[in-house]
Amino acid sequence: MQRQVALIKQSLFDQGYLDEQFMELEELQDDANPNFVEEVATLYFKDSARLINNIEQALERGSFDFNRLDNYMHQFKGSSTSIGASKVKTECTMFREYCRAGNAEGCLRTFKQLKKEHATLRKKLEQYFQLARQAGPKEIARRPK
Amino acid sequence: MTMEQDIEAMDQFPLGMRVLAVDDDQTCLRILETLLHRCQYHVTTTDKAQTALELLRENKNKFDLVISDVDMPDMDGFKLVELVGLEMDLPVIMLSAHSDPKNVMKGVKHGACDYLVKPVRIEELKNIWQHVVRKSKFKKMIKSIVTTNCVSEGNSDQNGVRANRKRKDQLEEEDEEQEEQERGNEKKPRVIWTRELHNKFLAAVDHVGVKNAVPKKILELMNVDNLTRENVGSHLQKFRLALKKINNEANQQANLDSQFTQMSSLKGLGSFHHYRPIPLGSSQFHGGAATMRHYPSNRTLAGMFSSSLPRNHNDGGYMLQGMPLPPLETLHIANNNNNNKAFPSFTSQQSSPLVSPNNHFVPEGHQGFSPHLEINKRLEDWSNAVLSNNIPQSNLHSKPDALEWNLFGNSTSPNLDTTNQTSFCRDTDFGSPNAAQADSFDPLQMKQQHENILSPMTVAQLLRSSSGNEGLFMGQQKLENGFMASDTGSLDDIVNSMMTQEQSQAEFSEGDWVWVA
Repeated sequence: MQRQVALIKQSLFDQGYLDEQFMELEELQDDANPNFVEEVATLYFKDSARLINNIEQALERGSFDFNRLDNYMHQFKGSSTSIGASKVKTECTMFREYCRAGNAEGCLRTFKQLKKEHATLRKKLEQYFQLARQAGPKEIARRPK
Repeated sequence: MTMEQDIEAMDQFPLGMRVLAVDDDQTCLRILETLLHRCQYHVTTTDKAQTALELLRENKNKFDLVISDVDMPDMDGFKLVELVGLEMDLPVIMLSAHSDPKNVMKGVKHGACDYLVKPVRIEELKNIWQHVVRKSKFKKMIKSIVTTNCVSEGNSDQNGVRANRKRKDQLEEEDEEQEEQERGNEKKPRVIWTRELHNKFLAAVDHVGVKNAVPKKILELMNVDNLTRENVGSHLQKFRLALKKINNEANQQANLDSQFTQMSSLKGLGSFHHYRPIPLGSSQFHGGAATMRHYPSNRTLAGMFSSSLPRNHNDGGYMLQGMPLPPLETLHIANNNNNNKAFPSFTSQQSSPLVSPNNHFVPEGHQGFSPHLEINKRLEDWSNAVLSNNIPQSNLHSKPDALEWNLFGNSTSPNLDTTNQTSFCRDTDFGSPNAAQADSFDPLQMKQQHENILSPMTVAQLLRSSSGNEGLFMGQQKLENGFMASDTGSLDDIVNSMMTQEQSQAEFSEGDWVWVA
């Protein structure tokens, strides 16, 4: 069980879904905060879902207020960075580039990609956390020897 | 808290330091909270800047430090920084996903102590307590300067921790001294810093270099009987503070000057006449001063300095590194002062020609200038004591080194002030606050006399070079290289160079000061 969990995690890193920041978060998890990482991830997905909605609406309106979009994306990028969501972060950066260039088409494209990455990550993390919970939270907190 | 308590508390530091964390992003806030807890700080979080302000206003002593995100929906993070600095004078650390230098600059200008980029690592947070210590020390120093006129002069001087010493050993030394003072806690006979004594002091400082200027060494070099390390230390502290002010002023003046030069395409001294004490009368300065009050200048400056301190590790302390000092309002006000005041001491001695060849910026008389009332108050004792009008012109022009320090002059002891003050004031037609302030600006201005206008960059260079043999003399060499060394020089060139070197003056702002022709 443990190994499975570790493997999944490793693959997430290898595939670039997560970066060192995630590891930092795990470091913060301890007895006082046994489910810290999961909590943060939950918060993140909740927040980002909202952001994604906002962006979607803004894009659908077709007015392409690049400033506003940029702002949203900045927020998104901030939280993605904090959680270590590497691929999502990359998409955010690209999106902002397109915003700055005033490239509506590029924005739309990137946004689609971003949503995809976001959804994938969410699924994977949910999987991971579920397994981790099954394996037993304490073991997760401790580094495998 | 008494110093002893403070020292004890500092041993405990940074455990239990009370931090207020503000970030509209829930994820980041949660992470930040946990990180801070990990550092064993006491954390309060909020996702609204408004709430944060309310919490802070509710009880100013409830928090030691504020960490705030920059991009927040209900209030601009920079604005929050400003307000916190103004109202509560707490150290504020900015947090952002941007690492854009422009943003960092903005943060500094608004008074932030530090700027962290997300994602924040725990190592960075482990060190943020330094800002609290630094700020509180600086505050104490300011207080001590204000109260130096009070009875127990020696003690209170020592009580003001020398805020801007970065070097730990010096800090420790100071702490020791403070502790000694605390233990001793008797009234010591006042030391009168005569010109000779001060010259010796200057020579000693010059000799060791400002970086190594510790009271002990200076005392040894001075080789004066009945002078204690504490006396020297206290004098040195004032000296440094005044120097800092001057550098500030220089920057401000440079900023202001360039702006004005741009505005009025100045040529030659005549234009500076325009700058003559205008906001004549204290009204304008009150306006200016009022503006200044918003940025309790010393404290903000302290904040600024402290933010720069760790980066620069320069004893001169004010590592602006070419950045204009924030908040520019204070700078402007100071600029006003600078421009208008010119060199009180000089004028007093020279019977103030409005434009002397060397005094490009000398206004006719410093009339009713009380720009930085706050600085005035603070520097009053120091400046009055220090800069009596007895700075012989010859010194100024011949020996640059001695020059500035002559300004700082004759006595640091506040108690000497009375005579000096009045005479000084009379001579220069200043209220004592003005004089005080003028005094502090003098060295820089004197320098200006020699080197003409200092651009912020130059001043920064000066400051940086203060570690050189010139010690505190603000890198005269550098100045000379950068600018015309000759007194008269060509003002045009200076102006032009200033203009080109000047960075955004955008923040010239309120203040009631108006340059009246």
